[in-house]
Amino acid sequence: MTTMMDRSASAPGHAAGKRPLIERLNIVTALVLGTVSAVVVWQLALRFLPETPETSLFFNREDKISLLSLIGWFVGFMTGIGALIGPFRWALGKDLNHDENMFLAGKDQGIKRYFRYTTDHKVVGIQYLVITIIILFVGGTLAMLIRTNLGHAQGGWIQPQTYNAIVGWHGIIMIVATIIMITGPFGNFIMPIMIGARDMAFPRLNALSFWLIVAAVPPVFISFFTGGITTGWSAYNPLASQAGLGMNGYIAFICIFAISTMVAGANITTTVVKMRAKGMTWNRTPIFIYGVVASVALALPAFPVFFLSQIMSGMDRAFATSFYNTAGGGSGWLYENLFWIMGHPEVYVILIPSVAALMEMAPVFTRRPLFSFNLAVMGIAGISGLSVLVWAHHMYISGWAPLLNAPFMLTTELISIPTGMLFLVLIGTLWRGRLWMTMPTASIYALLWNFMIGGITGIYLSDVPADAFLHGSMYVTAHFHYTLMGAGLTGALASLVFWFPKMTGRMFNKTLSWVSFWLVQIGFNVTFIGMFLVGLAGQPRRVESYAEVFSRGNLITTMGAYTIMAGMLVLLHGVISSWRSGVKAPMNPWQSKTLEWTVPNPVPLENFETLPVVTSDAYGYGKAKS
Amino acid sequence: MSVETHGHSNPHHEHPDVVGSRNRLGVILILVADIAMALSVLFVYFYLKGQNVNDMWLPAATEDSPAILALSSKGTWYITALAGLGAAAHFYGLKGARAKNATQLVLGGGVALVFSIAALVYQFMQISSAPFTTTSGAYASCYFLIAGLNALHLVLTVFIALGNWNRSRLGIYAADHWHVDIVNVWWIWMTVSSLLGAFALSFA
Repeated sequence: MTTMMDRSASAPGHAAGKRPLIERLNIVTALVLGTVSAVVVWQLALRFLPETPETSLFFNREDKISLLSLIGWFVGFMTGIGALIGPFRWALGKDLNHDENMFLAGKDQGIKRYFRYTTDHKVVGIQYLVITIIILFVGGTLAMLIRTNLGHAQGGWIQPQTYNAIVGWHGIIMIVATIIMITGPFGNFIMPIMIGARDMAFPRLNALSFWLIVAAVPPVFISFFTGGITTGWSAYNPLASQAGLGMNGYIAFICIFAISTMVAGANITTTVVKMRAKGMTWNRTPIFIYGVVASVALALPAFPVFFLSQIMSGMDRAFATSFYNTAGGGSGWLYENLFWIMGHPEVYVILIPSVAALMEMAPVFTRRPLFSFNLAVMGIAGISGLSVLVWAHHMYISGWAPLLNAPFMLTTELISIPTGMLFLVLIGTLWRGRLWMTMPTASIYALLWNFMIGGITGIYLSDVPADAFLHGSMYVTAHFHYTLMGAGLTGALASLVFWFPKMTGRMFNKTLSWVSFWLVQIGFNVTFIGMFLVGLAGQPRRVESYAEVFSRGNLITTMGAYTIMAGMLVLLHGVISSWRSGVKAPMNPWQSKTLEWTVPNPVPLENFETLPVVTSDAYGYGKAKS
Repeated sequence: MSVETHGHSNPHHEHPDVVGSRNRLGVILILVADIAMALSVLFVYFYLKGQNVNDMWLPAATEDSPAILALSSKGTWYITALAGLGAAAHFYGLKGARAKNATQLVLGGGVALVFSIAALVYQFMQISSAPFTTTSGAYASCYFLIAGLNALHLVLTVFIALGNWNRSRLGIYAADHWHVDIVNVWWIWMTVSSLLGAFALSFA
């Protein structure tokens, strides 16, 4: 291993030739220690936990053992990756010195830094990009299993309970992937450079937020082999309390992911508030930054509620408490409230950064200033504010508080207004612009189309009488795919192509980006318009077989899904081939005016030799002096 | 975006106040998440109490089991008082740090540590001596939830207080004391959250 550390100076007293602990920890030690801890806790629990008393209603010894083992995995993994070194060194009064911090930053470590608790925001950004691709790949594969089974009315080649588990697994991991797909890779790699900072405010917390996600993934993957998530991604209680052991993997996954989200939210917000370059006033701060901050600021108070809901779900399973068990004084509505208090802001956690990223690209590819920057900021703020007041529109049909249906219908429909502002900003920027037609430019049009359909169909679902008919049908599934995938993922894929040169030093293959774009967008619209039609005709969601009358619509949907798959595989090929052997990218291939394009490729460890002083906004295209 | 490339020339030596201000905001934002969770716990408590589903908030006696009675909230207020005393002791130490009085800093931090340990021990005693189990209805569930989360807060507080006291003892805060300021923020929130729990349990 090559390091810059002067060991005799940085770690006095350790034996010559023996590497300090901080250098020995990596993903291998994390996996080994996590696995060993889980097995040890499992065996201890088997030996010492008393048998289940017969009087308990739901008390389950296996749930306790399973949850304890998952906690053991988590603690072992985080210890093995080195997450606890910082806090314990702080408590001992032995703060990390400059050389150790440089080691943690990954200086001169080559590819090995991607497998360590590396604090450099650029490394963390790449780590996020890779894990997002992996999660999307797994989630996409599951989607293809679902669609293949639904290609025929009788389904049949997947057992019903396995099908339920696949649907639940697909749902939750896609939700997580879409939450992190912008703020993870681009929020970490691009955002600090874009605001003129050398790193994130808390580099160690940055590494922590990433490795927490890595620690969270195995429990949810293992859950598939221990009964699966048969409740759907929302894991409604008391159904979840009575589901198989796989549900414990879901609980562990959500709890760990929620911690990661909270940590990332605090870190990103602090970075933007405190570390913007001199002269970068709020009016000169790029709109993408607003999108990222709005996303993480929404997540910051929302995910602790989800965390708590899962803690209580785990307690109901393992300790037979009565939070959701009506026989013991609990309430299923309690879970629904807690879940959707997180669940609806979460939609905008996904959506806002994608739209903001495309608003960032629109001026670049039209060579025009962003149309009404202030309106864009107001739109983002309006959506963020209203999004915490709409959660119960998911519960109209549940019977909870019917008197509140009308107010929640009103707040939900009000959200159309700030959403319309964002549409206006995008259309206003494109209007009469000198278009440079690239895949990101086309993605702006795709987003406008998809988000328009997603938004308008959402208005019907927010309407109580219409929802009474549409609730629980494939129409709902099509609607949220139009927003999360049609708008959210479209923005993320455009971001990938746009910032690929800065992140990898290579241009994304133009042909492959176009082929992928058209396959995905055509496939997407075929898939989900077909799904709207069968939903309107009455096909319920989350079923593994259906009446013959829905056959044609489902066949069309499945064909569309295969087209999306082809497009995503082309994109994956584009990522790998362009990264390995693409054309070397110039420093600023798009002639953009934001700060990330002022640093060379590869971006130096501390980004800027001297910190920049900003003297104008980032959208001065077409002006005499900008 | 027009830029000039002059400005801070030495990136490695930020003023401690700048670092402290940044860290303070970060801690406050993390506390926002914790506050959201604490408020959610209160929501759970009062929601289930208000609903009293199947009259099982405090189950009546049956042939097999006695009635579940709400616990006196005195114990939880005692724990809050211990937390408050710890916060006061820490603040005393912080004033010492601001006045460059190392002895006062170490003394305040040490006393705060003792109070945090006392509160933690008392919290565990309270949990282990509860006259009901987790299966005893909605009130009991909420009781264990609130007590458990308070115990988690106290475990963190003991760790933080121990580190703070140790660092004070080693003279690390002689030059700047923003760590002590930030630990003070934690102590205040921890006391408030304990108070919220005690408040809720006073309305069984």
